[in-house]
Amino acid sequence: MTVLDTRTVPDKTAQAAVLARLRATHRATTRRTTIAVSVLSTLVVALLVASVLLGGVGRVDPADVLPAAFGLRTGLADYMIFQIRMPRALAAMLAGALFGLSGALYQRLIRNPLATPDIVGISAGAGAGATTVFLFAPALAFGAPVAAILGSFILLGAIYALSSRRGTVDTYRLVLVGIGLSATCVAYTNYLFTVADKHSIAIAMRWMIGSVNGVDWDGVTTLTVGAVVCGLGALFLNRQLSSLSLGDELATGLGTSVSRIRVAALMLGAAAAALATSVVGPIGFVSLVSGPIAVRLVGADRAVGLSVLVGAALVLGADVLAQNAPLISPVPTGVLTALLGAPYFVWLILRHRPEASA
Amino acid sequence: MTDTSPLATSPPPPARTKSSRGVTVAVFTIATLVAVLVASIGLGARSIAPTEVISILLNPDGTGYNSHVLWTERIPRSFLGLAVGAALGGSGLIMQALTMNPLSDPGILGIEQGAAMFVVLGIVLFGLSGVSAYFWLALIGAALTSALVYLIGIRTNAGSSTIGLVLAGVAVAAVMSSLITLLVVRDQAVYSHLRFWSVGQLTGRGSILGEIAPFFVVGLLLALPLGRSLNILSLGEETARGLGVRVERSRLIGAAVAVLLCATATAAVGPVAFVGLVAAHCARMLVGADHRWSLPISMALGAILLTAADTAGRLVLDNGEVQVAVMTAAMGTPFFVWLARRKDLVRM
Repeated sequence: MTVLDTRTVPDKTAQAAVLARLRATHRATTRRTTIAVSVLSTLVVALLVASVLLGGVGRVDPADVLPAAFGLRTGLADYMIFQIRMPRALAAMLAGALFGLSGALYQRLIRNPLATPDIVGISAGAGAGATTVFLFAPALAFGAPVAAILGSFILLGAIYALSSRRGTVDTYRLVLVGIGLSATCVAYTNYLFTVADKHSIAIAMRWMIGSVNGVDWDGVTTLTVGAVVCGLGALFLNRQLSSLSLGDELATGLGTSVSRIRVAALMLGAAAAALATSVVGPIGFVSLVSGPIAVRLVGADRAVGLSVLVGAALVLGADVLAQNAPLISPVPTGVLTALLGAPYFVWLILRHRPEASA
Repeated sequence: MTDTSPLATSPPPPARTKSSRGVTVAVFTIATLVAVLVASIGLGARSIAPTEVISILLNPDGTGYNSHVLWTERIPRSFLGLAVGAALGGSGLIMQALTMNPLSDPGILGIEQGAAMFVVLGIVLFGLSGVSAYFWLALIGAALTSALVYLIGIRTNAGSSTIGLVLAGVAVAAVMSSLITLLVVRDQAVYSHLRFWSVGQLTGRGSILGEIAPFFVVGLLLALPLGRSLNILSLGEETARGLGVRVERSRLIGAAVAVLLCATATAAVGPVAFVGLVAAHCARMLVGADHRWSLPISMALGAILLTAADTAGRLVLDNGEVQVAVMTAAMGTPFFVWLARRKDLVRM
């Protein structure tokens, strides 16, 4: 599209034809976007309902579910629905949205579908930070989210510093360095659990693998604030990001401060992944797969927005499966996202051509 | 051969290490190995005075708690650490030579995770127990996983085959460790019992030394004569063929030995990454690319590394100890990152 735009077209009828074609493409994309958004929203709502209704063990009278979901019942129904299942479902949705957003931002910026916070270890860094606070200063107000953001920023800085050589960053080197640093963070988290010596299986599962099990309303609040702030930030950056995708020189020509926007977007993505990680742990492969799915649905220009919905649907769906699937349930959410996401990752490295990624 | 009749387009001759250099390095390595072994036996959570250690070692049938700790815990554990490290060092060097990939390591490529997954599968689903059952399961798992990773790795379009192999390993390792979690997570008792299959450790594994030792001996002895064929394979496929080597067969033998070594190590202590990577690179730095020297040196360095990491892991905490896989990851990742930064690695 952009190529056609800049080309000079000498004759009037041809110009009109090009314009008509552009308009038609635009209309088609808009239609596709509307359809994709409505289908995905319906899916997310359906999964939310399913998550609250099915919700693993324990039985609640169906008549009590809806009132209990709004906190209007007491006793068992209140406990099961309002204290356990609602926060769990909402946390899955919001964390998925944040992971999806962060992954799509990174893929857009780094122009390598593999460079997402979960693969290059930014989630692992956030998890390491959050685990430190969780195990040693659990009383600290907002300790875990702040420590997670700090951890993710440290990792981001380290990855960027270590993967640049003479001022240029090769994206594959960045992925490799990230994988290495990720292993360090995982080792550190393991070490923390050994030192702390008070870890139950549930806590270890959340911080090592990622799980929405046992999230309370405080966690949902953190995630909501995170989702709103990061969503607004992404909305603000989206226009500049579009001009970045034209290439650094053209973007500078269009009045975009390239390096500042890039750093801001990288930090925003890291913060989004960190906030999600601080509540549900490093649920893997969600930020990796959300972006490419969104690109396939609506094209690269609108993928960042749609990946929020894709991520939400993925984590919610994985959690409903993790809770209710026969034979395997209950398992931590991160196990299912890895089992579904890793084959997709393999497919991505098998078909991906470096030149065609941008 | 090429010495007497140099061809116009002759490939670079096989890297040769002068035996004086090799012997010097070997002597130093063995000295370090002994030092690390002594440290591993002498140091631990329970401090025993050096003189007492010596007197206990001189009287094997002595009684008393310290004697018990030394003979049933520390000594088997130290030797198990040496064996596992040597196996991983050898496995790492052979894998790097065969794949011509400086980042190959049985842990990084996910092969140990695959072996561990099969062991856990056997334990949970079929109730298998005993070290030799673990070994055969680990062998099947390692063989299947390495085939899978290799097939994915060589088909990737990820910049270079070096990176493709690592990415394939990351994906396969993620699947395998998720499957381990899937198998063990529902039962707290099973989980705490099998947890070391996802993070390798030597704690409490000393007692299996006697059962697993034959497998280590066989694997290491099979690996030692591979140096020459690895040298020829490293000249490239066509040259090796020209020299009358059956390339596929030599590769297969090398891969089988590498898989055997890494399966034995995993069956003994669970997945431990980065030992093979670091040992192989250090060995090449010390004695050059000649595999006849670098293979045994890599084994010795792996043994030093793993035992040192285990001893350090016992000492860093006041109570309890850090799993050896955590220690090797902490030591190995800076090395991995340093390798990833090398100019020749990306876009080979």
